[in-house]
Amino acid sequence: MPDKDPPQAGSAGDNPYAQYYIVKKGDTLSKIALEYYGDPNLYPQIFDANRDILKDPNKIRVGQKLRIP
Amino acid sequence: MQRKFLHTAAALAILLLFASACANYREPAQAAINEADTALQNIAADAQKYAPDQYRAVADQLESAKSTFAKGDYKAALAAARDLPGKVTELASTTTAAKDQAVAALKDEWNSLSGDIPQMVEAIQSRVDMLSKSRKLPKNIDQASFDAAKSGLESMKQDWTAATQASAAGNVEEAVARVKSAQQKGNEVLGLLKMQPPSPG
Repeated sequence: MPDKDPPQAGSAGDNPYAQYYIVKKGDTLSKIALEYYGDPNLYPQIFDANRDILKDPNKIRVGQKLRIP
Repeated sequence: MQRKFLHTAAALAILLLFASACANYREPAQAAINEADTALQNIAADAQKYAPDQYRAVADQLESAKSTFAKGDYKAALAAARDLPGKVTELASTTTAAKDQAVAALKDEWNSLSGDIPQMVEAIQSRVDMLSKSRKLPKNIDQASFDAAKSGLESMKQDWTAATQASAAGNVEEAVARVKSAQQKGNEVLGLLKMQPPSPG
């Protein structure tokens, strides 16, 4: 039985300018925050923007499409 | 002596006849020129913009009639000016049709662009707010780029406000010009912040 697709972030109100990131192996929200904002401590903002698909900021899955505010 | 008097009298009579004939043309020529001049001035701004070639032809004919009139050739001036009012009416009609077409095209453009800008502003504002909270900028964005992005965003918002005001006032041309300016600035800011533009389609 094939794996289910990872859940994807909401459409951000269908805003075509909303920015997204596809989770890769070894990623954490802190690493993503460092890459996009230069500050790993801003990871909670990414978590908040993706609460529709994330229940725990420490648990993200490869292939998930996260919205980057 | 008598013959000389008769010659002078005949010459005077001819001169009077000529002057009378000229006076017959002077008034209608002046009236036709004035009518065309006033009518052309009333539509000049739009006509120069929407039917420039036709406007130039009518304006040249009017200038020619005025010049001929100034030289005292009232008959020729009348001939030149007689059909000018009709040509000005035709020009007004062409101008109105061309303007209506241009305004309709601008409204389509406005409808297409105006929905885009608020979303662009929202996404950029969100990223600027996040970067403003950061202790350090990401590797691929330097301080100068971030400062330029922030001022670009403010300028974009001003353009958008001006665009919506112009649209509300019925000035679609200005509205489209300002919304295009906002869009261009938004694209520049997206680049400065290393944000991805929307995927086509």
